Amino acid sequence: MIVKVNGENFSAEKSLNIDELLAAVKADQPEYVTVQLNGEFVERADFPKTFLKDGDEIEFLYFMGGGQLVATDK
Amino acid sequence: MSQLTNEQLERYSRHIILEQVGGKGQKKILSAKVLIIGTGGLGAPAAMYLAAAGVGHIGLVDFDTVDLSNLQRQIIHLTNDVGKAKTQSGRETINAMNPDVQVHAYDEQVTAANIRDIIGDLDYDFIIDGTDNFPAKFLINDACVLMRKPFSHAGIIRFQGQTMTYVPDKSPCYRCVFPKMPPKDAVPTCRQAGVLGVMGGVIGTIQATEALKFVLGIGELLTGYLLTYDALTMTFRKIKIPRNRRCNICGEQPTITELFDYEQPTCSFGR
Amino acid sequence: MKSDAFLDITDVVCPITFVKTKVALEDLDDGQILELRLNDGEPVQNVPRSLKDEGHKVLTLEDNGDGTFTLWIEKAGLS
Repeated sequence: MIVKVNGENFSAEKSLNIDELLAAVKADQPEYVTVQLNGEFVERADFPKTFLKDGDEIEFLYFMGGGQLVATDK
Repeated sequence: MSQLTNEQLERYSRHIILEQVGGKGQKKILSAKVLIIGTGGLGAPAAMYLAAAGVGHIGLVDFDTVDLSNLQRQIIHLTNDVGKAKTQSGRETINAMNPDVQVHAYDEQVTAANIRDIIGDLDYDFIIDGTDNFPAKFLINDACVLMRKPFSHAGIIRFQGQTMTYVPDKSPCYRCVFPKMPPKDAVPTCRQAGVLGVMGGVIGTIQATEALKFVLGIGELLTGYLLTYDALTMTFRKIKIPRNRRCNICGEQPTITELFDYEQPTCSFGR
Repeated sequence: MKSDAFLDITDVVCPITFVKTKVALEDLDDGQILELRLNDGEPVQNVPRSLKDEGHKVLTLEDNGDGTFTLWIEKAGLS
């Protein structure tokens, strides 16, 4: 499966759900991130049951406020 | 408003030449009222560029005094201003830049109790969120949604920044994207509070750009987009964001109908 | 030629020459005529051309014989 995460290609052997994807890309602060799948927001409660397929586009949107919780640690 | 003076024709000549601006547009700018909440990393450059552009009324909200550590990025404040009230320092810089601009200073922190009065003081046309903490950011969003005021949200940290613009009924709001404030007990480490000084310049000036475009009624605003910037890779991304039907303040069944204060952060590294 | 407004820009240099003219034209209605007094040199070389680019109609240009020119412009739709 090849999907786009924040504009970059990401491949996985099998279909992942969103929680698994967050872990696989080592997303920072996964408990606070906002997730968009193909342009639509995904409710946090739906993360475990939302499975990705080839060609999906996922955006991880992070809090950025300065001084407090921070965006991805790259 | 009355005719532009010869001095204004010269001062704003580079604006007036632009087809999308002209003398008419410059008059709109001179009549505009923009409120900048927080004269820090974001608010400082935004205020300076809006003053240079000739925005007639600029409101500056800040309860703080200028600190030496601010000078690396809050370019509206100079070395001699350390210890001075930020609104005072900001006013002095703006006055020296452009006598056409009237500065309205609010030496306070925005709270649920005062933000409506501050925004309503001049019935500002556009608000710029230049704050650096989440309680303020959520409060500003809520106030602007409830008062139906357009505003620019932004945040910067380390080498990254992001911004979006809210226009009532036409765009998602901050809560569409981030429904809830992160827990108050998440205190940053010292390392997480660093920021490359120029980040505020890039993002703050984008916020000022949005304000000018709104006032002039030109171009496409960042409504329905989150613009993210990574200075290390020099990458800008414009992420399309929809209005969230389940948004708890601007969605179909809003649960938030009034303003309230969140807990303040415990780490003083917030600035 | 009759005109609806008169502007003298011999006291300023480019690009303020163009800026003042542009602003004066904003105040006219489409089809109205602006009579413009401008200096020889850069102004007469640049201003008529720039006004045409903005969509206005350059009607006549007359040499006043004293180092200045008079230009008659008809305002057209754009600004």
